[in-house]
Amino acid sequence: MDLRKPSGYFFTLLGVLLTLMGILAPGTRAPLTDANVNLYTGLAMIAFGLILLLLARRSAA
Amino acid sequence: MTLHAVDYFILLLYFAFVLGIGWYLKKTVATSADFLTSQRSVPVWITSLAFVAANLGAQELIGMCASGAKYGIMTAHFYWVGAVPAMVFMGVFMMPFYFSSRARSVPEYLKLRFDEKTRGLNAISFAVMTVFSSGISMYALGLLLKLVLGWSFTASVLLSAAIVLAYTLLGGLTSAIYNEVLQFFLIVLGFTPLAILSVTRAGGWDGLRSRLPQVMTSAWRYMGDPSQNPMGIDTFGMVAGLGFVLSFGYWCTNFLVVQRAMAARNMAEGRLTPLIGAFPKMFMPLIVIVPGVAAVALSQMGLSYALPRKGAGFDYDQVLTTLMAQFYPAGLLGVGLTGLMASFMSGMAGNVTAFNTVFTYDIYQSYIRKSAPDHHYLTVGRATTVVGVVLSIACAYLAALYNNILDLLQLVFGFVNAPLFATFLLGMFWKRSTANGAFFGLLSGMAAAAATHGLTVAEGKGGWLTPLTTYPSTMAQNFWIAIWAFAACFLITVAVSLVTKAKPVAELKGLVWGVTPIPREENIPWWKKPVLVGAFALAAALVMNWIFR
Repeated sequence: MDLRKPSGYFFTLLGVLLTLMGILAPGTRAPLTDANVNLYTGLAMIAFGLILLLLARRSAA
Repeated sequence: MTLHAVDYFILLLYFAFVLGIGWYLKKTVATSADFLTSQRSVPVWITSLAFVAANLGAQELIGMCASGAKYGIMTAHFYWVGAVPAMVFMGVFMMPFYFSSRARSVPEYLKLRFDEKTRGLNAISFAVMTVFSSGISMYALGLLLKLVLGWSFTASVLLSAAIVLAYTLLGGLTSAIYNEVLQFFLIVLGFTPLAILSVTRAGGWDGLRSRLPQVMTSAWRYMGDPSQNPMGIDTFGMVAGLGFVLSFGYWCTNFLVVQRAMAARNMAEGRLTPLIGAFPKMFMPLIVIVPGVAAVALSQMGLSYALPRKGAGFDYDQVLTTLMAQFYPAGLLGVGLTGLMASFMSGMAGNVTAFNTVFTYDIYQSYIRKSAPDHHYLTVGRATTVVGVVLSIACAYLAALYNNILDLLQLVFGFVNAPLFATFLLGMFWKRSTANGAFFGLLSGMAAAAATHGLTVAEGKGGWLTPLTTYPSTMAQNFWIAIWAFAACFLITVAVSLVTKAKPVAELKGLVWGVTPIPREENIPWWKKPVLVGAFALAAALVMNWIFR
């Protein structure tokens, strides 16, 4: 098994979930920060997940 | 702290993935060696991240953040003086012997190099210790989840244990290692935002420095005199005790981490495992310690945040979770909590997989049933996994009932571990060291550790023989216990070896420096050469020390 695949799917999925939270519920904020942290972390996780999937694809081809 | 549906969903998604990985790897397990040692099949990027993750348990995460708040950035010595040099030494100098001996475990190496009684001493103490430490961390997690989220202690202990049991039982060590990497990613991605948000809110690193006493943000400046820093240690005690004896002992001889390097595909990758692992390791303080430092600054800014209290003092163990509650909204809070669960699981799976291998090969196959068909040992390995988890749960409840017994046990384990590095150092690099030398050296080292504890006092601990000296902190006391244990073990091993008969050199092939062929490095690219990668890791750690001096 190429571990990059399941990890890639996991973080992409998690990232999409957080990004959706950030877009659909932008008012969800923690007490000490004004930033939309769900959105930013979600986008970072999507990027990380896609990089893993891309690497897995390249070494499989 | 309150969780929302989305947070629970993230936790469930994570559980589904770890179990899925275990399920998928089920078909790779046919023999006892597949189950217990992965048969040298795991790619190096995976073994090196697992090498770091197996040590990154929930207690490490919570404890490092707590120490960050209590002692400041000095806590990073555990990484930049402790772990990194030890990991480099392990990869460059020790892996060749572990690998070419073809030992399946650290105790088995001792059997090949020395004799049965040295192996027995190490195997039995290690097996007992792993069960207790996984029980203690399970207890810590159950307690924290109860305190923070109001979850039932029993429910969180049983659920997390059941999931670890399921995926290690399905795919054995390979499954534990693969999941450790997923867990490592989740810990890093889940806690990096906390570091960024808390430091930014406190005005960046410069803001932290201006708000806090200088000693909180300097790793080295106050190390000259124990009375000047909150850890109560000086440079020698820290570098020799923590940096040399304790860290080298842990990273080079603890089977929990060594097992990850032994699962690599070949000797070159086995050597690279701790060396590559050193790079993520040296950046961990920025994620696990710095938020704790930032918490102290935040608590002085007149915001809604105050350091958690317990009675008259602070409850530092809750710093991490209270910070999460302040900076993570629903959604990311689920990720952070899942990261905490992930760290707990990677630590526990590390303990369980080390326990079942040592029990099956070093205790069962050596003393109970010597020659049986392999499928018998596979069954024993699986049964031991279940027994290990059940015993850990029992220990978690024991910890909940009798806190003092556990303090005592941890103290005793400390005595058992302290001298080990001297034994390995002499065993691997001095052909003349003998089995009796090693065995009695180890016993004297343990005795020296106990004696140091009995003769010194720190924070009201120790001094049960007769108090001769007082250390400003238990940390300083621990470092000195290690130093004396190492010295006693080293001297007695040398002394006894000189008067006992050594093994003939022919029997030491592949086990000792000088009679073990070290693979030539001319044909491999420079970025795969252990010595170069190791030197680069040390240089990078030196830079980190300099930046945070």
